Amino acid sequence: MTRRPLRRWAACIAGVSLLVAACGGGGKSKSSQSEGGKTHNGVEVTVLTFTGPQIAEPLQRRAPDFAQKTGAKIKVVTVPFSDLYDKILADLATGTNSYDAFVFDPQWMGDFVPPGYLEDVTDRVKGDQALNWNDIAPFFRDFSASYKGRTYTVPLDGDFQMVYYRSDLLKKDGLKPPATWDDYLSIAQRYNGKDLNGDGKADYGSCIAKKRSAQSYWMAWSVAGSYLQSQGTTQGSFFDADTMKPLVNNEAFGAALDVYKKTTQYAPKDELNLDVGDTRGLFTSGRCALSADWGDIGTLAIDKKTSTVEDKVGAVIMPGSRKVLDRASGKLVDCDSHTCPHAVDGVNHAPFAAFGGWSGAINASADKKVKDAAYDFLSYMSAPEQSNVDVTLGKTGFNPYRASQFQNVDLWVKAGMSKGAAENYLGAIRDSLQSPNMILDLRVPKSAQYEGTVLDTAVAQFLAGEISRDDAMKRIEEGWEKITNDEGRDQQKQAYAASLNIQR
Amino acid sequence: MVLNPLRRRSVTDLPLLGKLAAYLTLGVWTLVVLFPLYWLAITSFKLPIQVNAGPVYLPFVDFRPSLDAWHYIFVDLRGDTLRPYLNTVVVAVGSSTVALLLGAAAAYALIRFPYRPRIGVIALFAVCVLGAAVAVVLGVPTPIAVVAAAGSFALLAAAVGRRFRRTLSNRDIAFWMISQRILPPVAVVIPIYVLFQHLHLLDTRLALVITYAATNLPIVVWLMRDYFNTLPWELEEAAVVDGASTFRVFRSITLPLSVPGLVATFLIVFVFAWNEYLLALFLSSADAQTMPITVAAQNATRGPQWWYMSVLIQIMIVPVIALAIALERVISRGLLVGAVKG
Amino acid sequence: MDVRLARGRRAPGPVLVDRTGSRAALGASFGVRAAFIWPALVAILFVSIFPLLASLYISVSRLRLRRGGFEFRFIGLDNFRELYTGGEQSHFLGVTRPLTPLGWLVFAAAVALLLWGLVRAWQAGTALLGMVLRLLGALLAAGAAWLVTRTLLAHGGRPGTAVVTVVYVLFGVAVQFTLGLGLAYLLTQRLPGQRFFRVVFLLPMMITPVGVAYMFRMLTDTGKGPLQPLWAAVGLSDFSWVNDPWGARVAVMVGDVWQWTPFMFIILLAALEGQDVNVVEAAMVDGANRWQAFRHVSLPAILPVCTTVILIRLIEAFKIIDLPNILTNGGPGTATESLSLHAYIRWRTLDLGQSAAVAYSLLFIVTVVALSYVNLVRRRLAEE
Repeated sequence: MTRRPLRRWAACIAGVSLLVAACGGGGKSKSSQSEGGKTHNGVEVTVLTFTGPQIAEPLQRRAPDFAQKTGAKIKVVTVPFSDLYDKILADLATGTNSYDAFVFDPQWMGDFVPPGYLEDVTDRVKGDQALNWNDIAPFFRDFSASYKGRTYTVPLDGDFQMVYYRSDLLKKDGLKPPATWDDYLSIAQRYNGKDLNGDGKADYGSCIAKKRSAQSYWMAWSVAGSYLQSQGTTQGSFFDADTMKPLVNNEAFGAALDVYKKTTQYAPKDELNLDVGDTRGLFTSGRCALSADWGDIGTLAIDKKTSTVEDKVGAVIMPGSRKVLDRASGKLVDCDSHTCPHAVDGVNHAPFAAFGGWSGAINASADKKVKDAAYDFLSYMSAPEQSNVDVTLGKTGFNPYRASQFQNVDLWVKAGMSKGAAENYLGAIRDSLQSPNMILDLRVPKSAQYEGTVLDTAVAQFLAGEISRDDAMKRIEEGWEKITNDEGRDQQKQAYAASLNIQR
Repeated sequence: MVLNPLRRRSVTDLPLLGKLAAYLTLGVWTLVVLFPLYWLAITSFKLPIQVNAGPVYLPFVDFRPSLDAWHYIFVDLRGDTLRPYLNTVVVAVGSSTVALLLGAAAAYALIRFPYRPRIGVIALFAVCVLGAAVAVVLGVPTPIAVVAAAGSFALLAAAVGRRFRRTLSNRDIAFWMISQRILPPVAVVIPIYVLFQHLHLLDTRLALVITYAATNLPIVVWLMRDYFNTLPWELEEAAVVDGASTFRVFRSITLPLSVPGLVATFLIVFVFAWNEYLLALFLSSADAQTMPITVAAQNATRGPQWWYMSVLIQIMIVPVIALAIALERVISRGLLVGAVKG
Repeated sequence: MDVRLARGRRAPGPVLVDRTGSRAALGASFGVRAAFIWPALVAILFVSIFPLLASLYISVSRLRLRRGGFEFRFIGLDNFRELYTGGEQSHFLGVTRPLTPLGWLVFAAAVALLLWGLVRAWQAGTALLGMVLRLLGALLAAGAAWLVTRTLLAHGGRPGTAVVTVVYVLFGVAVQFTLGLGLAYLLTQRLPGQRFFRVVFLLPMMITPVGVAYMFRMLTDTGKGPLQPLWAAVGLSDFSWVNDPWGARVAVMVGDVWQWTPFMFIILLAALEGQDVNVVEAAMVDGANRWQAFRHVSLPAILPVCTTVILIRLIEAFKIIDLPNILTNGGPGTATESLSLHAYIRWRTLDLGQSAAVAYSLLFIVTVVALSYVNLVRRRLAEE
């Protein structure tokens, strides 16, 4: 190629690209059509969530129907899950306001509500017939969706953790599902190393996602919760509500850490690097006897594309403890009617509503018309008519959170579960949701730092053997105290109390 | 024509044993490179259950391949795959071209023209910028602060320049350029986000083109500097004596002779822009999203969805490979030294 | 041409010649000179000034979200104090312990090398300012050597993110350069099938880093990954690399080498291709063997490119983040965490101040390393 044509080519390419780039925006993203003469005719709502198919798929699927009904265009924007928090915050804090609504983790309300980013929807939900607010389980209504007594989100999903077990194995050996963590460990030990799915390879007793910066800290807290909280949700499990002292440096938390580490002995050798994707994959291909996880395993187990253990999966409320923390002395004390008023058969259960359950919230700075349309869309997604179907489909990522969803077994049978499995799964969910001692995930400002940075790093280092158990507890305590003091101790105390709906 | 492998055509050819050793080494490295890509390719034809159960290696022999993942990406997602793809192409081509043109010019300048920026003036510039920043933080409206800083700089520059005569050299300018690449993106992503927010360029491809061009410029400058240095400058001298302008010399002599270097540099910078993640994530939201974001997004609450991710990675590589194949021929042309001596 | 040169003598002619005073340059007016360089400068300045200042300010402040926006509260050097002497010290610098004999040996060798360099510079008549700077540099280097040996070659020491990053960089750049140069050299020999190899060897760099990291995560998974039979054959089937700090670090380094060798490869290939093949041929006709021809003819000619590509890769390598992040999220514990990942993990939970402090520490370290490298290496190339 001689020099002149080459130069011309270069100039052409440069010119064209600059021209195209200078056109500013890229292609328009998917949005649904609007029709004339509807309530929200011509209004466009931009909803941000993470890339699916979980959570995003039902939103995208139902957007056209909603557009048909109301004339509003719903544009669903997705970003990678691990960066959703930062994207939302950057957008709101800098006043860019490119999103009108979010489907996010209500735990983040601790950071979003005090600066006034989210719209207060208390009055809207109370007056909303179609939404059937009272059908939603009390925990999600009163704790998950509210802050300081006001409601800011519309629940779409119920996230809490349970333990799953291979019902065929336990039935064959006449064992009951684990009620305490000691039970869990003994069952795990029993099945570890045996072939559980008939492929000739040794399998594992327990599979828990212990990967750092993934979900490990929630799993750890699921174990610790029943040692720390026994007097009901309002007691809280992270801090002492009166002094804001972290509850992580005491006998109880130490015992929980020991249990958590011990489960690694009966697990795949890579367990420290497994996140939920891996452990669910292992469980549904029959390689684990036990697992602790959110509700997804139940629906994944009946999906033929992912599972070989259909009808062999049982679920049970998170195992508890017969000894709980005495906050005054910092020691473990036995459970009795005084220390464990909510104990079942002498065992204190504290199911952990880890993460909170994906919910929809509205940007307070959006136009009034847009806010109305956004609220109607969220209400539409959460209404029993739509929600009860979506929670039975594994790919939606929505787990049950309404009373009507676990009373009606037929929907689940229609989705593919056997009647027995459905009753067992729903029974476990009901036990957890109705427990008065459910643990609310931390939602004070900088909750991500408390959990994701300090707690997660220390637990990861402890599991890896980098630091000792007592060292880990000390680190978590020091790290948490530092954040609390930096933010303002009184402020954090008030926020913590507000999240727990503590009336003073 | 049949080549007898035992007879070397020139003294620089490898002996037979050398050839075998060479092929062995190349073969081993080829295996190392291709095996992960092979694994990636067959993963895109597996169902989730086949991925999770354990490794299976050969399609049709160990497992039944399925087009499920491909169907999802191309049919179910359609626009959500096509749009980021187009964006990535536009942004990569645009920013690389801009970076190449500006960078080549700057590289040429740095090896031909003596620049002697006065340290005093540069320090004054830094002080004025710092002053403006402090003023804005303390509450002074931004336009006033900027104008004041610019004004004081203009007034004092000449005086300071006369007083402090110590100068920096071209080498220092070049070092300053490459030092812009030292800070990890995580440190600058939010300030850049704020910068483009003020310019109302968020979620546009233009913002990405500008950012990538600016961040990749130092690489172009450094690579082209070395390449230009290998060119015979007698040609340029002769042209100048004949009366050609500097620009003419650059355009008609230097650039054509350095095409292999330009092409190699273009490829590198193109790849950097094609694959960049963090800045693209923050500067785009709906309209200007690029492919790396869709790849990373496959790791959601259920863990990485390997099957979809494999598809996305493969379709991302295709245009880049095509470009590499097309450009590889140009890189291997080599320099026609004979033109000088003749 | 006689290439049987005596040991130590360089090839004739300086490698980097300053041609800025040549006639071609003198013909250029001020306007032209400005026009060539200012567009690039403006582009870089535009995108770099504000972020640099802003992140500097962030590193000495703490973020708090407020009604209607956010505020940064100035806290002085608190973030840095935490990193270097406070609670984060064992995370950032590492846990230091008494040295093993090997550690003492290495440290002594490092100090000896630094002293020798200082003495040589003094004897060569360096100016006072130059000597002071060199002394400072040597002190910093000695401090770094102390830290590295006390964490890596000590009884029970644990390297922090800074030391781990340095290990990644040194190993990575050395291996990538050697491999890249070797492969480029092989592929400039007349071998049938060259084009195929050239294109294939470019592939790893073409994949987006996030994609490469996920790919390696798949490969190294002992449950789903394809390499299990290989490990079993070698007797390592029970080894969980992910639970072993060094196993995980090796995995990161292998991934890094796989991904970035093409970068060295393509630049060095272009440089080697640009060589005058007649010169090499003449040298070999004169009786030089292949290695001598390479060492005394090819290498000096491509030396400037080599130093450039090493510098660029050095700077990029310090920013390694995707591989440790996706392979193990910095685990087990904090074993594979690099400086950039350390900053990212802090940044993700909005601890912007700490994150910026780590980033600026990285900036400082790399600037010192790059400056030293440039001064030591390129200056030597430009002199006779």
